Amino acid sequence: MVVMEVLQWFRNSLSNKHEIAIGWKRQGKRVIGWTCTYTPEEVIYAAEALPVMVLGDLSGTKLADAYLPSNSCSFARSCFNAALRGDYDYLDGFVESNSCDNRGKIFDLWKHYSKIPKIYFINTPHTNTEKAHEFFYQEVARFKQWLENTFGSPISDESLKKAIEVYNENRLLLKKVYDLRRKNPPLISGVEVFEISLSSTVTAKEEHNKLLNRLLNKVSNRSDRPKEGVRLLLTGSVMDNAELIKIIEAVGGCVVADDWCTGSRYFWNFVDLRGDPLRAIARRYLDKVPSSFMYHHEERFRHVADMAKRFDVEAVIIFVLKFCDTQMFDAPLLRDELKALDLPVLYLEWEHSISGMAGLKTRIEAFIEMVGGVK
Amino acid sequence: MSEKGLQATRGFYRNYIKKYYEDAHRTKAEKRPVAWVTSTFPVETLLAMDIVPVWPENYASVCAAKQASVELCERAEREGFSRDLCSYSRCVLGSMFGEKEDLPEGGLPKPDFLVTTTCACDTHLKWFQVSSRLYKAPLFLLDVPYNISGADSKNLEKAHVEFYVSQLEELFSFLEKQTDQKLDTKRLRETLELSNRTSELWMEIQNYRRTIPCPMDARDAFSAVFFMLCIPGTQMAVDFYTGLCDEVKERAKNSVGVIENEEYRLIWDNLPLWFNLKIFEYLNSLDAVVVTETFSHVWAGSLDSSRPMESLARKYLPNIANSSVQRKIDMILSLAEDFSVNGIVLPTNWGCRMMSIGETIVRDVVYKKLGVQSLIIDVDSSDWRNYNEAQVKDRFETFLETLR
Repeated sequence: MVVMEVLQWFRNSLSNKHEIAIGWKRQGKRVIGWTCTYTPEEVIYAAEALPVMVLGDLSGTKLADAYLPSNSCSFARSCFNAALRGDYDYLDGFVESNSCDNRGKIFDLWKHYSKIPKIYFINTPHTNTEKAHEFFYQEVARFKQWLENTFGSPISDESLKKAIEVYNENRLLLKKVYDLRRKNPPLISGVEVFEISLSSTVTAKEEHNKLLNRLLNKVSNRSDRPKEGVRLLLTGSVMDNAELIKIIEAVGGCVVADDWCTGSRYFWNFVDLRGDPLRAIARRYLDKVPSSFMYHHEERFRHVADMAKRFDVEAVIIFVLKFCDTQMFDAPLLRDELKALDLPVLYLEWEHSISGMAGLKTRIEAFIEMVGGVK
Repeated sequence: MSEKGLQATRGFYRNYIKKYYEDAHRTKAEKRPVAWVTSTFPVETLLAMDIVPVWPENYASVCAAKQASVELCERAEREGFSRDLCSYSRCVLGSMFGEKEDLPEGGLPKPDFLVTTTCACDTHLKWFQVSSRLYKAPLFLLDVPYNISGADSKNLEKAHVEFYVSQLEELFSFLEKQTDQKLDTKRLRETLELSNRTSELWMEIQNYRRTIPCPMDARDAFSAVFFMLCIPGTQMAVDFYTGLCDEVKERAKNSVGVIENEEYRLIWDNLPLWFNLKIFEYLNSLDAVVVTETFSHVWAGSLDSSRPMESLARKYLPNIANSSVQRKIDMILSLAEDFSVNGIVLPTNWGCRMMSIGETIVRDVVYKKLGVQSLIIDVDSSDWRNYNEAQVKDRFETFLETLR
């Protein structure tokens, strides 16, 4: 396999995500959908099920609009729309969390209007004190029990440890892929990296690891390297499609780092292999680089600043999904912190739709030109 | 017989609200502790320690009623806070930037510290994080599990109550440190008992509104709820409600209603349009009266002063904002029957996910169970820039016609 083919595999596993999941089911295995990166995926994996992140698309949300008001998160709306359309009818189970107001409340709609047979809710604290850790550990233990009872297969410590190893390997490899962008020009483009990290949320991790290893072995010889451009970090809520990065990289930008749920925040932290595996898993999630709903949001600001340094970033674009309250409150604070580091910042609110993105193109272009011109 | 406003609530702003803010400023000037707090926080803890609670949410509603909120929202927007955020939070953040001279109530006194909870929404936490940074004042967060089963206060999950209680212990250490004084458990007991008395009186007042014709309108309820919501464990609250209760009881006994011809008895969900409370009078002109509000049924609770921590958890944790929609549905179903209601108004709130998502389920389930129809209107409690009065009135008229 040459580099091109490996990259194509990641891209295909995104466009064929439903076929892949259905194929997995044909082997007699189960598929569990999740939506929040605070879901302890290792436990699902240890139950021999395939955990997949539920994703929407940019094609409109006509079905969901009948139930959801226009002032709710358009990404969550798009995911719910996919469920109403039947895209996720194959799911054996669905796990939601109260990690933001949109999700917590939309859970009621999933329960009332979707066809998924088994759904579960994990209570996620907004702090990571020792008390919160103990509470969350109990929640994760209950989730494990629910998986065992619902699907009739016990989850051993051994299988949890195996899951941790596989997941940690994935995290390590993804970090190595990210580091390919420390070079200038980077060895791999922002769009390519995006497809790689997002595909990790919808494919079996062992398979993903194999492909990551293949890529890392061959990538230094690639002949079709990305062009040099204005080195950017993108930060925001969640990103489930490459369209924005395509726009950026088409107008002279070069996305070299990110801070969003489906990017670095998904995999940056490891599970500690020592001690009780379930406790270690639970701890990893509350202690990871926090999302904006957490009390210790300043750690996220630090993560952004660290990433900016590590990847030699020239400017930052804050992409906030409309109606993502926690990000909207953080944005002016993060902007000020980054400006204090002499990093130019562009703040954009975007609606999760094709037209919502097209409207941003001119501002992105002007910003990149401005930053590029200063050089 | 009909009579509009109540005696007890006449001059409510001048006699109580204005005075409350003057007192808060005085407290601050005298260097006694002032804390900012949000709804669903167990405010009895502050009252028991003689900490004056300042309610930015209430302040925003006052600014809206005085038609000052939009200008303040715009100030916050100029600082980078999105127009889609909660208008309460934008209004109060706006009051923290720029000129202070013309602010309603002289602005809010700066907090010595802030306390909030995740019990109602993420916005409380995020808004107070920003405020805490701007004012360099410490913030205490009560991290509350989501009541996903929709359980009532008796049937809450044990783990949820325990997690809550363990944090109340930390809260008192925090308050003791901030105020440099010890919690007096006798004082706490007294506060809880006053809070219970406040709740009992408030619920008694609400129950008289079941009478046909209804003796008390939403406008009075949304003013008077101030004591229940903001300072429930005080003698002042008990005194006010004692007077109000007598008056409402008397009206109920003598069949004095808000309007003469009570054709439509409505439930109002979520918040009112603070900038346009006259809308309730408009409804009256269409022979409709709001006989109860979900907002009037979510703040009272019974506290066991021999188990203060646990009962505070049980009072606040199952708030409908922190519960699966089933809990709101159950509440509306029983209110609709108890108050002989024939229509429900479900106003969403632009900057509030909690008050906007799930209203379709409420509408569908209530209609299926009781055959009572609901009207969902997309509005904002304090930001009128997208408000179209003619359109809203038109929707009310059409809705009432369908209820005939």
